[in-house]
Amino acid sequence: MADTTARERRTAEAAAVEAQAAPRTARRTREPFELRLAHLPIYFLLIVGALVSVTPFFYMLSTSLMTLGETINRVPLPASPQWSNYQVAWSEANFALYFRNSVIITALVILGVLVTCTLAAYAFARIRFPGREAIFMVLLATLMIPGTVTFIPNLLMVRGQIVPWGSWMNTLPALTVPFMATAFIIFLLRQFFVSIPNELYDAAVIDGAGHLRFLTAVVVPMSKPVLMTATLLTFVTSWNEFLWPLLVTTTPQWRPLGVGLYTFLSEAGPETHLLMAGTVITVLPVLVVYFFTQKQFTEGIATSGLKG
Amino acid sequence: MSTITPTRRPTRRRVQARERREWLTAYLFVLPATLVIAVFGLFPIAYSVYMSLHRWRIRKGDFIGLSNYTSTFGDWWGAAAFFGGLLLILVAHWLWTDAFRGDRQGAPTYAKALGALTLLGAGVAIALGWGLMMEAGNRVYLNGLVRTVYYGFGSVPIQIALALVLATLLFQKIRGQQLFRMLYFLPYVTPAVAGAAIFRNIFSPREERLANQVLGWVGIEPQRWLFETRPVSQLLFGGLFPDASFTGFWAGPSLALVVVILFGIWTYTGYNAVIFLAGLGNIAPELYDAAAIDGADKRQQFRFITVPLLAPVTFYLTVLGFIGTFQAFTHLYVMRSGATRDAVDTASIVIFDTFYRRNDFSMAAAQSVILFVIILILTLMQNRFFGRRALGG
Repeated sequence: MADTTARERRTAEAAAVEAQAAPRTARRTREPFELRLAHLPIYFLLIVGALVSVTPFFYMLSTSLMTLGETINRVPLPASPQWSNYQVAWSEANFALYFRNSVIITALVILGVLVTCTLAAYAFARIRFPGREAIFMVLLATLMIPGTVTFIPNLLMVRGQIVPWGSWMNTLPALTVPFMATAFIIFLLRQFFVSIPNELYDAAVIDGAGHLRFLTAVVVPMSKPVLMTATLLTFVTSWNEFLWPLLVTTTPQWRPLGVGLYTFLSEAGPETHLLMAGTVITVLPVLVVYFFTQKQFTEGIATSGLKG
Repeated sequence: MSTITPTRRPTRRRVQARERREWLTAYLFVLPATLVIAVFGLFPIAYSVYMSLHRWRIRKGDFIGLSNYTSTFGDWWGAAAFFGGLLLILVAHWLWTDAFRGDRQGAPTYAKALGALTLLGAGVAIALGWGLMMEAGNRVYLNGLVRTVYYGFGSVPIQIALALVLATLLFQKIRGQQLFRMLYFLPYVTPAVAGAAIFRNIFSPREERLANQVLGWVGIEPQRWLFETRPVSQLLFGGLFPDASFTGFWAGPSLALVVVILFGIWTYTGYNAVIFLAGLGNIAPELYDAAAIDGADKRQQFRFITVPLLAPVTFYLTVLGFIGTFQAFTHLYVMRSGATRDAVDTASIVIFDTFYRRNDFSMAAAQSVILFVIILILTLMQNRFFGRRALGG
């Protein structure tokens, strides 16, 4: 933790350089295209890499459209796509319920994260108060703590065995509240809020605004891109969460898709085509969101990653 | 509010009152997030330590001191030698680089010799300590740690090396950069349960599945993949040395664990490449121009400009990668089955089993505390090895 200031300085430099780097890449891609012989091996390697990363998805899709017979024989593609597989999987494994649960859980977590982390990040970025650095450092340190270390006490807590607040098992709060703030998102937002010029705040104060007004009326509208990145990151982590929902949902009532798919895995047995159809149902929402926001997504992750 | 008009100079007391109000606002803003993180992120660590010191099977029992740790390590001298050995690596690195640095010349030869000796000592201490622990300790957990080490050291370096290659290629003047970047990133956003379900099918022991088909194209017999608990070294060289015994650490991971390693590489290489790509964009092109004028060829430019300037990114990705593999759970949990036996049971899976199947809460807590300490030491080491260079630029 001793090199914090150095790291922060590095971060600031990185941010400054980034600002210059953006137009440079843009300029580079706009240059007229010419296929040069020297580039052929590069394309070859890039395509091999792309094939490796996409093949499992292709396998999933094609298997999900096969008949049971086709999954046992060596065919790469189904003779005629069996779209009904999705219907069968959907109704057989209660995916409708799991899907609804996942949507509600993820939406609540995103809402919670945006509210708590925006407030905290704003205070860490723009208000001076005693203990600011210390609290921030302690929060950041939690990024290093693995989930396998925290799940045991957390489960006892949710069961009401540590604090006598009754059992939260199989309830919505158990699935959402523990995820409603993360140090990483606070860090990401703080980086952005720090860069907002002080003059804006001074002007707002003259207009009679306090911190909360300034935050909601000026800072949040200015921060839409970074808030979007925070939303996307939270969406993916929340949608993909597994260990915790596995522990706190003993009944299907609030079970999310991931855990639902896992139970389906053990039930479906040899019916690979249905299993893969279920997998498609689980993966599809993430992929759709990713396709529509992929530029913002990858760039958001790239810059936030650099800022780590 | 009217007291804060800039024309009237506020008195000391007013300033203090205003300051206090600012503080109050700040604390209120910070409170919700801090509360959530403190309750569900920080408190559990202290409570895990507390739990590990009691008898605790479903309900809390008597205070039993360190006996959970004793039965896990088996031999405290072994544990001391093992963890001491890990710390000695840090000392060795310090001796090699910094200890006797009077001027800019770097460490003198005898300091380097001392460093090398310390490193040797560290290796001996780790090996001896581990041997002692394996004799009397909890083998299930210790073997889990070995598999975790295989998984981490087998996948993180490869992820990072491949990602660096992909990023460098992508950074050339080529068409379709966006498309490639998007495709490489897909595995990272895929839910681990789903990815593992797909891998379970591809790497199934059945002959018609993809992995075995691909082997068939190059004339290799179908393998049992996720069901294969024998080490890879035996599969490769067992035919050549039928009498050799393929056991112990140096026999390497089982084929089942290799599938898990492949899964790790598949998931994170693209993510790492995207971050490296952003890092490459931050390197000023003037540096390359200057190097070219000085007569540096492409390879030298890569070695002396790209690699050192990407060191902070590499550091970040290694730390993230190791923390990720050490706490990896979902895909391992999904990919294992009866036939896999314990072949892919890393430390976190063992912790889960101790807790969930055997209901030994305090033992599971002790095991998770040990895992946490190991992650801390590992992060310290990486900070020592890469962080220094990262800051030096």
